[in-house]
Amino acid sequence: MKYIKKVLGEDLRQYTMVVALAALIIIFNIASGGKMVTSSNFQNLISGNAYVLVLALGMLMVIVIGQIDLSVGSVAGFSSMVMAITARQFNLPWYVAILIALIIGMIAGAWQGFFLSRLGIPGFITTLGGMMIFRGGVIWISNSISVPVPSELKWFGAGYLPEWGPAFTGMNNSTLLLGIIAIAVYAISQIKKFTHSGDVTGKKEEFWPFAVRIGIVTIVVGYATWLFGSGRPGTSFPIPGLILMILIILYYLITERTSFGRHVYAVGGNKSAAELSGVNVKRTYFLTMLNMSVLAAVAGILFVGRSTAAGTADGTSWEMDAIASVFIGGAAVSGGVGTVIATMVGGLVMAVLNNGLMLMGVGADKTQVIKGFVLLAAVAFDVYNKKNRG
Amino acid sequence: MKAKKALSLFMTAVLAAAMLTGCGGGRGTEETSQTTDTPAAVEETAETGNTQDTETAEPAETEEEAGTASSGGGIVGVALPWLGTQNWAEAEVMFKEQLEAAGYEAIIQAADQKVPQQQQQIESMIENGAQVIVVGPVDGSQLGSVLEKAKDAGVYVIGYDRLLENTSGVDGIVQFGRVKTGELQAQALLQGLEELKGEAPYNIELFGGGPADPNAPNFFTGAMSVLQPLIDDGTLVVVSGQTDFTQCATVDWDNSKAQSRMDAILAGNYSDIEIDGVLSPNDGIARAIITSCENAGQPIPVVSGLDAENESVEWVWSGRQYSTVAKPTNALVAETVSIIDSLLSGNGMPATEVTANNGVIDVPVYELPPVVVTKDNAKEVFADDPDRLALLTD
Repeated sequence: MKYIKKVLGEDLRQYTMVVALAALIIIFNIASGGKMVTSSNFQNLISGNAYVLVLALGMLMVIVIGQIDLSVGSVAGFSSMVMAITARQFNLPWYVAILIALIIGMIAGAWQGFFLSRLGIPGFITTLGGMMIFRGGVIWISNSISVPVPSELKWFGAGYLPEWGPAFTGMNNSTLLLGIIAIAVYAISQIKKFTHSGDVTGKKEEFWPFAVRIGIVTIVVGYATWLFGSGRPGTSFPIPGLILMILIILYYLITERTSFGRHVYAVGGNKSAAELSGVNVKRTYFLTMLNMSVLAAVAGILFVGRSTAAGTADGTSWEMDAIASVFIGGAAVSGGVGTVIATMVGGLVMAVLNNGLMLMGVGADKTQVIKGFVLLAAVAFDVYNKKNRG
Repeated sequence: MKAKKALSLFMTAVLAAAMLTGCGGGRGTEETSQTTDTPAAVEETAETGNTQDTETAEPAETEEEAGTASSGGGIVGVALPWLGTQNWAEAEVMFKEQLEAAGYEAIIQAADQKVPQQQQQIESMIENGAQVIVVGPVDGSQLGSVLEKAKDAGVYVIGYDRLLENTSGVDGIVQFGRVKTGELQAQALLQGLEELKGEAPYNIELFGGGPADPNAPNFFTGAMSVLQPLIDDGTLVVVSGQTDFTQCATVDWDNSKAQSRMDAILAGNYSDIEIDGVLSPNDGIARAIITSCENAGQPIPVVSGLDAENESVEWVWSGRQYSTVAKPTNALVAETVSIIDSLLSGNGMPATEVTANNGVIDVPVYELPPVVVTKDNAKEVFADDPDRLALLTD
């Protein structure tokens, strides 16, 4: 135990979900006769769930500030439908179409942010209204008919990285490059941390936990690289996954390294204390809601790209999947607690459950029941742990 | 110092193993260098190589089996939109029975009316090695990239009951004549009006199906091709004035939405006149309309229907619902299975003259004729269907 703690850090609790995720993958792989851990299935897993994980990124921040956003599915559906219709009507190139979707998301977010931050209407009510407004809007503007989107958008929802370079690697070289970069960045950051570990305390960290850490990450990332990269030629780590990765890094930095991120946690933890210490609560509320809706638009783009058309039911109950991911990732209902990485793990737990049960031919009905129990169990486990700690 | 040295050696080994794993697996045919320098690498390669093997082996198997499947065998995926109406619930049971009777392994999944769910289900069928996937889509235009993935994996895709639009990844569609269905509904409505409601003009209302289902506008168009001339010459009067498909559509084919719309129309337009007939796109909506009329104190209008659901068959028999159109699920499933037989015995898609443009390619369409059912011919139509025949007793 002592050794594990040295490698992973003092707070082992955050790894329970990671262990659960790994266990799920292994169990499903055995139960499905090796169909879970294959290149194509993992590619499916990522491109089929990227939109939920993108929503979960924004939802995490919303939940951390102690609010909830019920409108994300409708906003995703609305922005992508506006995009599809305008692009079709005026024959717009894809990048203009995307810009339109993002702007619609921004406007929707500003609208919700305004009601929450300026008028003080609780997020639940504001976004319940938004959910109806934007859902109705989708049906209204589309005349209830699905609209095809520019074919280039398929790249965002279901595309792959380019193939290049020598064939002897046996992999998609773009994926290989990504993997190497990921390992290198991690190793460099660890080496920096290690060489500076004695600077303040004068107590230099031992060498071996540092080495083991890099070793573990190298193996995991290396394996993932191989898994994603060695599928059918023409496939690679999926584009929606790459977009998700970039967003994860971005939001990790925002929540952990910027003053805005600290404000988000401060407001969620104790609103009045944050206000007294000079945090602009209204601004934090506004920006968080704005950000959520922009991410909803991104999720909508990824989804319609994959679907090749914007549909009138797009986004229905997506908010629930996003909210579930955040809570399985250990966020607190009362706000102030939750991390980007844990939320992504929570989302992946749901995704793997869904995918694994489907591979085994379990119906949608039973899958729902199981996901419900997992959500309850994960949150109950969390609450139990917190109680026991103090 | 010693420990440090040992560790760095270990690290080098781990790194080497990880890198070699990457190189070792390879991509099936591209496989050139099976590096076996260190024991660790051999082990890793062997282990991960296995996963790779099973995966690349599958398409090859597919081809082999496709060649010899005349004796039965092979995996068939069936993706249904949901099981919430009788025809889909029947389809699930019948596909299972008929596919297994023909010697195939059937993977049947329903998507609870959720597009993302269905996309993932189809992907999981590809993963499970399905050689043919039958798709009754939730939204026929939103499966584009997933079906192309199936095509790339060498899987045949057959659209069941609904057109698969916006994709090149579809090999054929099996369905009942769509425009024809609408015409039959309208003709049955007219026949009923003449039979039961005396002299023209007749007050009627129009209902359409779920707009996300590409069949729904087709039904409506077919029906209007019969009704529009009579509306123009005053034989038929649409009192509410709602004659556009988008006004008449019923989102998600949801009966309760149709009932609310009928309630509103009756309250708004029929306070002092009687309604004579209603064009209904299916049985569930027909019953909702009839219930709404009964609640509003109206005499029961002549209402058309579709699907010959058990409850509506009873209603037709007892005279509450004038007609329904039977699209025997059994026949549609049997047609689909015969196409699957042809595909898996290596004979390709059967010949057909009808094609439909799905926005990307022209898709071969296999159409079956639907049948109008009224009280008069119910016994004949269901002669081969013991379950429904049993409903016609009292």
